[in-house]
Amino acid sequence: MSFAPLDPLLHNQLRLAVVSLLVGVDSAEFTFIVESTGATRGNLSVQITKLKEAGYISVTKSFRDNYPLTTCKLTAKGLRAFEKYVEAIRGYLDK
Amino acid sequence: MERDMTPDESLRLIESMIGQAKKSFSRMSFYFLLWGVLLIGAMIATYIMRDAPPSPVQGAAWGVAGLIGGILSSIHGARQGKREPVNNPMDRVIGWLWGAFVITLLITIACTVPHHRDPGPMITLLTGLPTFMTGQILRFRPLIIGGMLFWFAGIIMHFTDDVLLLTVLYCSAMFFGYIVPGLMLKRQENVLRPA
Repeated sequence: MSFAPLDPLLHNQLRLAVVSLLVGVDSAEFTFIVESTGATRGNLSVQITKLKEAGYISVTKSFRDNYPLTTCKLTAKGLRAFEKYVEAIRGYLDK
Repeated sequence: MERDMTPDESLRLIESMIGQAKKSFSRMSFYFLLWGVLLIGAMIATYIMRDAPPSPVQGAAWGVAGLIGGILSSIHGARQGKREPVNNPMDRVIGWLWGAFVITLLITIACTVPHHRDPGPMITLLTGLPTFMTGQILRFRPLIIGGMLFWFAGIIMHFTDDVLLLTVLYCSAMFFGYIVPGLMLKRQENVLRPA
């Protein structure tokens, strides 16, 4: 009996929470992700950078009312990785 | 949030986060309250002016309400769009639904008014559709009931010529279909997502 390996990048609570959140929306601001995940800004920042470096999400930095604004969006690569991860998880649960 | 997760925990986390994303709609109560007040005002003005010379004076109230509502909705929508912390695809679906409703409404007016037919009953009936669907998408029961009330009022309006009854039916449908759900939605929005 063989199990599909789980993507180590997604098999982390905060990173999985971020990607799952972005699956349901077109894009989300950093503050919205902080509120939704309950993570600290520092930890979230680190995990978002890891997801960005893997090409799973794109991060846009801009300004609104002179304050920095960070917006995150799931990429096609991120969506494919998420779908594969869910499939693998289902495989574990079915067996 | 760094420890290893079991497959079951992963799946529950995914479901919970997708559920949160689905609840991240834009604030919509403003539109229901604005249009509810404007259209009730237009209906009452039309009733008061019922003995005035025929159009364009009689239809003026609807034109003014449409113009004010259109301008204020556009300004509010543009401002809100820039400030939304999240872009939910269902917001777009709701936007298209109401856009399609406005087009159908204008076609209905264009097809009935030149023939001196009252578009009111048909418009009331049509209003039920986007109201009901918005309620279903938001999973907000007062709007679902509001949509049904528009259908109910629209059906009765088709079978009466009594101006007072038509006015009361239309205003009641607007009050219970737009304003009451709008106020309830505003309260829920304030709890879920403070402005």
